[in-house]
Amino acid sequence: MSTAAAEAGSPGGLPAALPNFALRLILIAIADAFALLLGVSLINDGNVFLGATILVTALLLTIVNILPNLWPLRWMTPALALIALLVIYPFGYTFYIAFTNYSDGHRYARAEALQLMSREKYLPEGEASYSWEIFRNEAGEYALWLSNENETLFATTTTITLVETAGEIPESYEGYTLLTGGERFRALGDVQGAAFGDPNNPVGVASRSAAGTFRQRWVWDESRGVLMDMENNIPYRADDTTGSFVAPNGSTAPLGYWVPVGLNNFARIFSDSLIAGPLVRIFLWTVAFAFFSVFTSFVVGLFMAIVLNRSFPGVRVVRSLLIIPYAVPGMISILIWRGMLNPNLGVIATNIENIFGWSPPFLTDPGWAKFSVLLVNLWLSYPYFMLICSGALQAIPSAIYEAAEVDGANARQKFFGLTLPLLLVSVGPLLIASFTYNFNNFLLIEALTRGGPAMAGTSAPPVGHTDNLISYVFRFAFGAGGSRDYGFASAIAIIIFVLVGLLTIIQFRFSKRLEEIGENV
Amino acid sequence: MSSTRASLAAARRAETNRPNTGSSVGSVIIRIVIIAIALIFSLFPVIWIISAALNPAGSMVSQTLIPQNIQSVDDLLVNFNRLFNDPQVPFWRWISNSILVAATSTILIVLITALTAYSFSRFRFIGRRSLLLGILIIQVFPNILAMVAIYLMLLQLGKYIPLFSLNSLGSLILAYVGGGMGINIWLMKGFFDTIPRDIDESAMVDGATHWQTFWQLIFPLVQPILAVVGVLSFVGTINEFLLARIILTDRENWTLMVGLFNFVEAEFTDDWGVFAAGALIAAAPIVAVYIVLQRYIVGGLTVGAVKG
Repeated sequence: MSTAAAEAGSPGGLPAALPNFALRLILIAIADAFALLLGVSLINDGNVFLGATILVTALLLTIVNILPNLWPLRWMTPALALIALLVIYPFGYTFYIAFTNYSDGHRYARAEALQLMSREKYLPEGEASYSWEIFRNEAGEYALWLSNENETLFATTTTITLVETAGEIPESYEGYTLLTGGERFRALGDVQGAAFGDPNNPVGVASRSAAGTFRQRWVWDESRGVLMDMENNIPYRADDTTGSFVAPNGSTAPLGYWVPVGLNNFARIFSDSLIAGPLVRIFLWTVAFAFFSVFTSFVVGLFMAIVLNRSFPGVRVVRSLLIIPYAVPGMISILIWRGMLNPNLGVIATNIENIFGWSPPFLTDPGWAKFSVLLVNLWLSYPYFMLICSGALQAIPSAIYEAAEVDGANARQKFFGLTLPLLLVSVGPLLIASFTYNFNNFLLIEALTRGGPAMAGTSAPPVGHTDNLISYVFRFAFGAGGSRDYGFASAIAIIIFVLVGLLTIIQFRFSKRLEEIGENV
Repeated sequence: MSSTRASLAAARRAETNRPNTGSSVGSVIIRIVIIAIALIFSLFPVIWIISAALNPAGSMVSQTLIPQNIQSVDDLLVNFNRLFNDPQVPFWRWISNSILVAATSTILIVLITALTAYSFSRFRFIGRRSLLLGILIIQVFPNILAMVAIYLMLLQLGKYIPLFSLNSLGSLILAYVGGGMGINIWLMKGFFDTIPRDIDESAMVDGATHWQTFWQLIFPLVQPILAVVGVLSFVGTINEFLLARIILTDRENWTLMVGLFNFVEAEFTDDWGVFAAGALIAAAPIVAVYIVLQRYIVGGLTVGAVKG
């Protein structure tokens, strides 16, 4: 960065200090060489988007750092690189993945899938290049003594060496001991399918007497678009509409690849009844949860701000104590609540049970689980609104209250006619920001209920009554009990994206932030 | 920022000067009752977890508010000892992971956004407005929405750069720093704008370069906003859960929040006391930071609305 400043004294002109200019060029060259290597490797392996993003970002930042006119942007080089790579690219890529079948069975680009499968080796049946004997060392590692009419070889699990003194098979060799009889037979089970010798060209046991060289099982024929299974001699045709290699009998190769599938993921939302039904309920709950969370914490927070808006002994201590829930890391306090709300053993349930003989099934009944989620969120966030409202209340000039009193307004009229409207002007944008936050509140749901209790009539990844949209995305992409369906999860993420965008437009209408851009300094 | 602090100062003044109107005995009692209820609601979980941490029996069902059968100080520390000696719970490792990730992310976020904000605040150039607007729009979308893409990106990137592979703290730091750009650039720029430009100009007249002006003059002046961004970033990254959970798979690499979550998933009701001990140790410093830096955090929150 210091190089940027060297030139700053003469913006638009030639660099003031030549050594700094040279140093900067060297740094740029190093960074670019690195980016070029990375980008090209990624593209070669089929990850075209990430590779291209890195190359384009590097190009643009190089231009920024070379053109004299753009010197103010040099200060932003790291920020722009991070935003390009970790904000713009992931959002762009999310949009792209939403239109593909990227998922567990289709995890790789085609080139990458082929490359991975090309590593699989098989031992052709009847392969009899060598006859073998087996050795074992103290550590329990096996080694093979391989011989045919031309040569004798000794293969450990990692190396293979030519044995000079052929002839009789020795009792022990290089720390390994020859196994015979029953031991040899038992060892056969251990070494079946194991690879010996040079890992790139391994040798293995093919039958009770013969050993041979492993062959590559999957061979890709680019011109025919066919993946040959050499072991079983079956051609698998690459089907670019489903992203699978398909055999004539309909079976598929172990690895598929991801391909664009158009609007399929979005169509599933509406056509698959196991998805459509739960998704509507999850959407409604997401909105209801965000709304009631903000509403309850705002009302309670405002109420407490008003209560504490008078001076009395210890008011500061009370305020500091009430802020503590807000200061405790969210995960920790949510887990504490999870323990306290435990329906069988938790302190809340057991005490209610002791008094009334019955206690609510807090986290196991759909309705009570939703209540619990809202209660905990109220606990977590009302101190925030108490803080905000305290500040905002103080900012309302007392003169207008005096004027209202002169006009004969009562306390109720003063609150609803003056305090609340004036408060909403300053707190309104924060209410919407809080709504947006809670709309995407993964932590609370996951830590308190894990989305549960489970909802009936849903598809593979189990979803629950308290799941919201963001945890729904999580379950499809990373959740236990389902295949990792990145494509579909991204489609849902895009829906959230659009909803958050709409919320933000509403928020911007409230706030004056946009105007700040035009302001000078 | 400055307006927030002004209003807080006003609040404090008003608090002491405002006449205590309408303090009939009835309203005083009502207020005391309300405050008592609020205190119980807010503090009961805190007290309960302290009690659980000190309760030597350690299981949820046997807990009482005042720990029973305490013979010595050692009895109070039973849960702590179990926490520290359980090989399945590398508690200090989790804490050091969390601190490493949060501290590194925070330092990088503060430095990078300060540079960027200074440029936005002081220089005029083509595309400035569009860039600012772009950053403003980007920051409204939380980066957890792109969790799938971030995960896949790290999966692909990690093959070439081990530092940024999945299951590494480096990749988590990368994700946090990237996600911390937008809002913090705006927070910083707003504060930089309140520092008079005359300061820069007089320094430039004296022959200082932009870099010298920034580093020697402006940087010390903007320390309040550096503290706000620093504290919010630190607390935010310490508390972050979703990305940490996706990226870190090995027990040894977990951050504290992922570790505690998985601990609770595995063995909650029986090891309630051990969990409570861990929760107490983890929460205490952060609560202390909050109370000490209350002023900064409240100021930052009214601008940024990061949590809540």
